[in-house]
Amino acid sequence: MIGIVVKKELKEIFRTSRIAWLFAGLLVLIALSVYNGYTYYTSHSSLLKESQEVTYKQFISQGNKNPHLGAHFGFYAYKPTADLAMIDNGIEDYTGSSFYLEPHKRGIIKFREVTDATSLKSFGFLNIGYLIQFIFPLFIFLICHNIFSKEWENGTIKLLLGSKVGRRDIYMGKLLACLCVVSMLIGIILFLSSTVLIATSANLEKVMGSYLIYLSGLCLFSVILTSIAVSVSLLTRSSTLSLVILAGFWLMGVFLLPRLAGEISKHVYPAITSVKFDHVTFNEMQYGVGDEGTKDYRREKLLERTLAEYHVDSIQQLPVYFIPITIEFFEESDGKVMDRAYSAVDQNQARQNGLVRSVAMLSPFLAFRDFSMHVTATDMETHNDFSEKAEQHRRKIGVIVDEYYQKHVEATNEFWKTVPQFQYEPPGLTHRLVAAGPAMLIMLGWTLAAIALMIFSYRKMTV
Amino acid sequence: MNRLMLQTIVKHEIKLLVRNKVLVYLFSIIFFMLLSALWIGSSMYKKQLSTIRQIKAYDKEITDSLRERITRIEKEDMIYPGFIWDDPTFAYNTARNEGPQFAVKQPFSLQALTVGQSDLQPFYYKVNITRKQYLTYDGEIGNSFLQFIGNFDFAFVVVYLFPLLIIVFTYNVLSSEKEQGTWVLLKTSNQSLGRLITARIAIRYLLFIMFFWMIVTPVLVLLVGVDFFFTTNWWWTVICVSLYFSFWFALSMFINSFSFSSTLNAMTLIFIWLFTGIIVPNLLQIGLNKIYPIPSRISMVTEERNALNQYFEKDGQTLTKEVFNNPRTMIRQASIVTPGMVYGYGVIVYKSQEIKDAAAAVAERKLYGQIERQQNAIQRLQLLSPALLLQEQLSAFAGTHWRQFNKFSIDVDTFRRETQRFYFPKMAEESTFRSFTLKDVDAIPRFNPKVYADYGWTDIPALVLTYIGVTVVLLLTAYKRLLAIVK
Repeated sequence: MIGIVVKKELKEIFRTSRIAWLFAGLLVLIALSVYNGYTYYTSHSSLLKESQEVTYKQFISQGNKNPHLGAHFGFYAYKPTADLAMIDNGIEDYTGSSFYLEPHKRGIIKFREVTDATSLKSFGFLNIGYLIQFIFPLFIFLICHNIFSKEWENGTIKLLLGSKVGRRDIYMGKLLACLCVVSMLIGIILFLSSTVLIATSANLEKVMGSYLIYLSGLCLFSVILTSIAVSVSLLTRSSTLSLVILAGFWLMGVFLLPRLAGEISKHVYPAITSVKFDHVTFNEMQYGVGDEGTKDYRREKLLERTLAEYHVDSIQQLPVYFIPITIEFFEESDGKVMDRAYSAVDQNQARQNGLVRSVAMLSPFLAFRDFSMHVTATDMETHNDFSEKAEQHRRKIGVIVDEYYQKHVEATNEFWKTVPQFQYEPPGLTHRLVAAGPAMLIMLGWTLAAIALMIFSYRKMTV
Repeated sequence: MNRLMLQTIVKHEIKLLVRNKVLVYLFSIIFFMLLSALWIGSSMYKKQLSTIRQIKAYDKEITDSLRERITRIEKEDMIYPGFIWDDPTFAYNTARNEGPQFAVKQPFSLQALTVGQSDLQPFYYKVNITRKQYLTYDGEIGNSFLQFIGNFDFAFVVVYLFPLLIIVFTYNVLSSEKEQGTWVLLKTSNQSLGRLITARIAIRYLLFIMFFWMIVTPVLVLLVGVDFFFTTNWWWTVICVSLYFSFWFALSMFINSFSFSSTLNAMTLIFIWLFTGIIVPNLLQIGLNKIYPIPSRISMVTEERNALNQYFEKDGQTLTKEVFNNPRTMIRQASIVTPGMVYGYGVIVYKSQEIKDAAAAVAERKLYGQIERQQNAIQRLQLLSPALLLQEQLSAFAGTHWRQFNKFSIDVDTFRRETQRFYFPKMAEESTFRSFTLKDVDAIPRFNPKVYADYGWTDIPALVLTYIGVTVVLLLTAYKRLLAIVK
């Protein structure tokens, strides 16, 4: 019986010209999204890969220089483009991907693409992720909003309920028909994105796990939205009201709530200004924290300790150069100040982000967006991980150069080559899944809510 | 249609709208959103003002300290008790430490309406003689995740939410009459039904507009003061937003005139909203990125570094040897920092910077040239999307458009060159190495902060006329169709 209802519904859905238009429009959008994601991935990944090689080559071929001067020439650590960035590039364009590895200064990630973009960027970036998170839900609602209400509006509900088909079969039939249409669209997305992924990804085996998890999330997300749309259609018994409610839900969930939550989080956890940050860190480095004493005082103490260590009376008698020792010393103590300051910034941002993410309890769209960014490794956590690894590498280079500088005043290319290249591997799938845990839990919560709504609406299926 | 009839329709419309509970709730929620957006925008504006105050205080503190330290050194026969790298009488030290000045883009009060690019582009730079400001100072410490989510400002509410409210407000002006069975009754009236429907839409529009500006204007005055009220930026904002709303009312009437069902009207209007507000800008983005690809800043850095390496292969190598092997600089000892060493580093740094700046200039022209071309194309094509058109205009009037930030960045770059011209000769002064005096403190170039809210690049009257033209065509076509339906 369910089969009959599904057949009837599919016939009705595909008979209306507006569905054909919707499908055609969505197909064009899917193709464009895949193309856009593909060009984004290929251009970015090759640029970053090549630039990493070039910047390192420039460093190791800089010729004879004072080691410290050469270290200041430094090189860049570039965050490689995530393998699944062609599906969803998450916050990549907003974080930047370049980290300058030079002495004294903890690097900050620079060259955020969004700062060199036009105002069109604020309308989003069309790729599969964007399409699924922003446009696809509205299409689901447009397709399903009248699946039940039309029966009341056309006066056919009595006929339907009076037929041999049971209430449960009618409900399931209509739901399955909607899911069939939605699955078709997912199938097209799956086919196109898989083709491009296979064609471009060298690490297909590595990517496949994340990709399959992403697809599972997408299926669950689509089922949740379809169930909600079907239930609302049944509860309102009016296509217009159902459409207004669903469109409102979409607008609230996709745009309004996240943005509003973002603004609230900025007020609840205000960020430190760059001016204040610089002022505080400068004072802490210059005048010390607690009873550390000023930089001059600490330098004198360091000299005393070094002279004692080498059992000599003056700086000229030292068997090593003193400047690199001070550089190394302050690299460490200034590093602690900067670590503390950046950690406070990171913690504040984590609190802000946590508040926004908690709003996903009111918006399945936000929960899926969060899940998607974590699984594709285009999230804030991966970015912070990169930043941390790059900083570790910067300090490692500092130690290598300063140790060399203690005994040599000139470094050649032979020495520069001993400084290791930066290589970054994003956190593994397990780590990403742990990060996506809250989003997955919220999505499960939405699944339960959708089931509850279905049961509630099913009970209202009477004339 | 006589005056009495018009009055009756006005009363009838108001009653109808007030009695529609869903509409009243929706209206209240969205107006609450509007007030929140105004408050959020004004908070951002005030935060920038407060940051600028912090900058001024910080600047004063630093300059006073610099003046005091140099006075002390000059009084004590040029003896500096601290670390040589902090001695401000070396021009290179001051250029690095206390010297860098802040360049500030003064926020315009209408920024409270449109955040535009102001959350992404820096509104102040600390201008360094070495690093170009765009390479080092990437704006405020921002949360990338929140920037990715987007702002909740007046522009967002007006561009995205209000069209949907208008759709809910008007999608069934005609169809509801048919669906409720009052259409037949109306047809027996001796009034023109085309005029009647037009009058109903017009009344709804006027009520909407009056209510909207009666809330926005006083709230904005309360939040940011009254100054904006006397600028053309404000009055163009009022005209453009009102016309944007009129476009959506006219479009709704146009769709109504097809005599579809309420559902189909709503679906069509939502689809048009989605298409013009999200899909068209995205398609434009894809197309423009293809035609005018914006190069990454990474290429700029690569160019700089290549040039520097080439320089150090020959001339730079000679300079380094001259400076470092000079008995006066004694840099090779690498245990005690000598005055010559500070001077030597300074010379190498400014020579290298000249090389880097020259190399970056080519890549920089390419980068900004492509962004400029994209912006020009947007200006030509913005009529394809009313949402994009309004967003561009609102940010231009608010002083948060890319072009205004770009102008600021160009001014900062000019200022940076001025600063370099001030410090470089002093850094190259070899006779004593310590060339920076108390007199120089007052001569340090300073940036003159100003408001960047000029919108001269855009032909506002032509755009407004086009807006009016499109709206009138939609209204006339709808009116004609309504007359035909009645027949």
